[in-house]
This record gives sequence, structure tokens and C-alpha cells, in this order.
Amino acid sequence: MADRTLNGTGATPRSGLGTVVWYDPEISLPDPDDASVDRAAETARFEDAVETARAELEAERAATADRVGEEEAAVFDAHVKFLEDPTIADAVETGIADGLPAANAVDDAFGDHIEQFEGMDGRMAERADDLRDVRDRLLRVLTDGERVDLGDLPEGSVVLAERLTPSDTAQLDPETVAGFATVTGGRTSHAAIFARSLALPAVVGVGDALDDVSEGAEVVVDGDAGTLLVGPDGAEREAAAADTGAAVVEKAVETTDGRHVEVAANVGRTEELAAAADRGADGVGLFRTEFLFLDRESPPSEDEQYEAVREALDTFPDGRVVVRTLDIGGDKRIPYLNLPEESNPFLGERGIRRSLDPDSDLFGTQLRALLRATADGAGELAVMFPLVATVDELDAALDAVDAAAADLDDRGVDYERPSMGVMVETPSAVFVADELAARVDFLSIGTNDLTQYVMAADRENERVDDLHDPTHPGVVRAIHRAVTAAHEEDAWVGMCGEMAGNPDLTELLVGLGLDELSMSAVTIPDVKTAVAETAYSTASERADSARLAATRSAVQNTIHDT
Amino acid sequence: MTLERTVEIVPEAGLHARPAAAFVEAVTDHEAEVSAAKSGEDPVQAGSMIAVTSLGVGQGDELHLVADGPDAEAVLDELERILTTPEEELSA
Repeated sequence: MADRTLNGTGATPRSGLGTVVWYDPEISLPDPDDASVDRAAETARFEDAVETARAELEAERAATADRVGEEEAAVFDAHVKFLEDPTIADAVETGIADGLPAANAVDDAFGDHIEQFEGMDGRMAERADDLRDVRDRLLRVLTDGERVDLGDLPEGSVVLAERLTPSDTAQLDPETVAGFATVTGGRTSHAAIFARSLALPAVVGVGDALDDVSEGAEVVVDGDAGTLLVGPDGAEREAAAADTGAAVVEKAVETTDGRHVEVAANVGRTEELAAAADRGADGVGLFRTEFLFLDRESPPSEDEQYEAVREALDTFPDGRVVVRTLDIGGDKRIPYLNLPEESNPFLGERGIRRSLDPDSDLFGTQLRALLRATADGAGELAVMFPLVATVDELDAALDAVDAAAADLDDRGVDYERPSMGVMVETPSAVFVADELAARVDFLSIGTNDLTQYVMAADRENERVDDLHDPTHPGVVRAIHRAVTAAHEEDAWVGMCGEMAGNPDLTELLVGLGLDELSMSAVTIPDVKTAVAETAYSTASERADSARLAATRSAVQNTIHDT
Repeated sequence: MTLERTVEIVPEAGLHARPAAAFVEAVTDHEAEVSAAKSGEDPVQAGSMIAVTSLGVGQGDELHLVADGPDAEAVLDELERILTTPEEELSA
């Protein structure tokens, strides 16, 4: 047994063994009553620290603009201005004059302002985070704190942190980092999703207990059980070290009683296509097109979009690629598209709502690219619309496909119609699934958003993390209803949310009748193996019990009761 | 020379990170003391990022600017340009 076991939420069904490296550790301030403070020297130290911090910010700004985008880099401009703020400089000067060491004077100078912004609404509260970042940067320089470079950690490191931003997570190298655990965050937080795409063992939302785990401690991050084992014993160590996941299954899989289930990959960038194929993906079940629109100053051209989809189709010559049309709004922002500030962005203008209006021009361009790629690419293309809530929206989207085809006719360009589908993400889409399925070839259930909307639980809010679980009976019944409605209309049904990639839930999903499961590439071998071990007849009976269950624990009993 | 001007804010997110940084930069680049006030509120030092962002000005709000110094007119022109340019068209 480990010395201590901390519970959180597992982000990746993988375990990793390693040594703790704390990211952004507590800075220890000098004793403020130190009578030997040399005021002139402290003032000079403060001024030097500001210069060092400014140089760091400028270097990071350049690197971020290069790697992520100009919009993300702009935050560093704001940080420089906070660093140079005359009210801070004045307050630090006063503090030093009163006999404080420079670091304590800096800490005090920022304190009240941070508190002031913390109490404010929405985007104003983000300024508290900015000020905290700038303060901590100055304090680190002043106290000669070691800086942890997330991109250059020793092999076998397990990163522990209060939180990790997506750009922090992106720096982690899965070749050297054994995993991470954070105080905050839920299963569908960006850090967790990133961890899955990097196949990195991760546990999020551990809470304040994580703070007691010391630097250099040996730990096992068990992303499957959602636990962090501090001081693991020999058997726990061995199990974690041996957990490299299931072997890759190259060919398509069926259940023991012969029901074929397609296992596909969710892909966010063309660079991920080859990795998905290497992991044995039958095709792509969700090709997010947002990446084409990010990190740039203007929208991608029709040709650029055509090339990207073409590449996906050529990577899976015998498979199918399901492309989701542009899904922005909510938490996904694109600088040049002028998205409105909304008090409930997840309930606002996002997904198909924007594509029909105001982004109908972008939508037309995207559809023309997709129709051309259908004609030219090796694999089979399927196109689906995100966040559909009404039959009218679907009809309007299908009209836009007709219009795109007419444009290509006028231009004399070759095209073909892809098969068409709808993402089931809203409760409304579940209730009218029969009407939607009658008009298209397939439905694809997006469980992250569907769970959020069925349970009325924000997927980024760890305080309601328990509600954000697709094994609640409400969500299971919504899935069952959508699958049944689709099959009655001879449409096939896939699932492309995080739920699909959890091998513990494979039997339930196969039993509910899903024809396709699509997930982060990392779990494809595990899910393929799980499908091949499932008997559809048994799974179907269990799924009936699950959908009739009254509580989440009763649903989970049907899953774990073997 | 003391000059005053009232400007209606155009950027959608108001004086959010990037426009606020550009605003403060313009003030520190000019030789003038500048204050900024939301209507009915006390003026703050326009060269302070903290003060400017804590104003909490949103799109459509009016900001009253007072500039004193040799560059008063130039700084007001530049600030008006920043306050009336949508964020995505703003070059730092």
C-alpha cells in the first residue's frame, strides 16, 4: 500500500510513476523585520528585477506569437504594462523607505489591487490573475527562485500544480514527463483533454490535499482510478511502470457475437492524422475544423480547407472521415470573427447558429471545400453540423449545402455530396432526433456538451464536476433515445465525446447500440480490445438495466457488475 | 496647455487587456499628464495599467480625458484613435 492515496478525477486511462516536480512553487519571502535592510540596495534590486522580468516577458511574447498566435501573445503586453505601473513602483518605493526588503514591498504593493480585481465580475477578474502572474514573476526574480521550465524537465517527472493552462500543458513532453496532477480542474477541462491527446497520465481536481505532497516524492499518477499514490509500494510501482495500454489493433473489430463497431479518432490538427492511424483508428469520427481558423489574422481560403480535408481522406483511404463544420463561440474565440460578449456564451451564438448567420459566408466557403474534397479524396467523407437544436436549422444547413453545390456547378468544378449528419448535443436534438435522422445519414452524439446541457452543469466548473458525468441516468436515457430514433430512420449513430474513449464504458455504449465510437487516439487500442471482448447480447441486456436505473450509482453497478 | 475630450468606447470588450495596454503605452509615450474618468466617477491616472483597467469601461461607455502638457493634443488624438478602433484592427 502507498503511504497516502489522494483522490481526484482521472483524465487519461493511463498510469505513470515518477518524481514530483512542483510547478510554480510557493515563494518564500524574506523576514520583513530584518533590520539590516539596505534601502538603496533594495531599490536597485527592485529596479533590476523589473528589467529582468521585462526581458522575460518580451522573450515569452515572441515565443507565444510564434507558437500559438498573436492574440494569445497580447496578454504579455498587458503584463509589461502592469510591471511598469507607476502606482506599483510608488508603493514599492514607499515600502522600501519604511524598511521592508524589496520582495516584501512588491508583495504588499500588489496585494490590495489583486484583492480589488478578485471581487469583480467576468473578464475584470482575469486581471487579478494577470497581476498575480506579474507579482510572482517579480518575487521569483527577487528571491532568486528557480524557474521550472516545463519543456525541459528531468526524465520521469510528475508535475504537480495548482492549475495548468493549455499552453503550460502543451509544453509537457510525454517522452520525459510521467504525468501530472492539479489542485483544480475537471475531466473535460482543457488541461485534461490535452493530457489525453498527449497520452499523458493525469489526475485533476485533487483539491488542497495536493499541496502537502513534497517536491521529490515518488508518486504514481493513476489516471484510470483518478488517484495519486504517494510513496507507492513495490506492486503499485510495477503496475504503473507496466501500464503502456493495450496493444494496437490494426483491423476493424467486432463483438464476440459478430456486431461490427467502428472505432475512430477525434482529430484537431492534420499533424494528428498519422498518429491516429498508427494507433489503429478505423477512420476519423470527429475532425474539428476550428484549428484551420486559429492562430491567424484572417479566415483560411477554400483551397486551404480543401487541402486539409483531402489530407485526412487520403490518410484513411479505406475508412471514413467525419468533418464537423466550424464550431466556434462558447469558449472558442477567434480574433477576426468579432464574437459577441455574452453573459452565457455556452447558451449563446455558437456552432451552427453562427454558421447560418452571421458567418454564412465562411460556412459557404467551408461547404464548397468539403464538396470538392469528397470528389477527390481517397476515403469516404461525412459532414456534420454542431449544436443543432431545431429541424429548421438543419434544413437551412442542408439548403446551404445545395447552394454550395450550385456555386461549384457554376464554376464548373468537380464535386460530390458527402453523407450528411447532425451532432446531438442539445436536449432539443434528443427530443427531435427522429425528425433529424429522417433528413440525414447519421447522428453523432457529442457527450461533453450533451452532458453539460442535460445536467445543466458547466463542464469547466469543478464545483459541479459530479453532475458532469455521462453515466447519470438522464444522459444515458438521452443517448438511448437518440440511438433508437436514428435506427428507426435507418441512420447510423456515432459518439464523439470523451465518454466514447473510456474503455470501462465500452460495453454500455455497444449495448446501447452505438455503431461508431470516436475518441482521442491514445485510448483507441484499449477501446478496440474492449469491443472485441464484448458480447453484444449481454451488453444489450446490461444497457437495458442501465437505462432503467434510477441513480448514477445504479447505472455504474450495471457497468462494474461482472 | 490643458485639453479635455470625451470619447465613446468602440472595442467590444471595452478597455480589456490589449486596448488597455495600447492606451497606457500611448500615455507614457507622450509628454503630458493624462487623467481618465467614467461619467460621474472620479478621474484616475491614465498612465497606470491598474487604474485604467479598474475603470471597467465597456463598449458604448463614455470616457472623459483630461491632458495637461506640451503633447496634450497629440496624446488625446492617439487615445481617441485607440478607443474608437475595434480590438482586432488595433496594431500595438
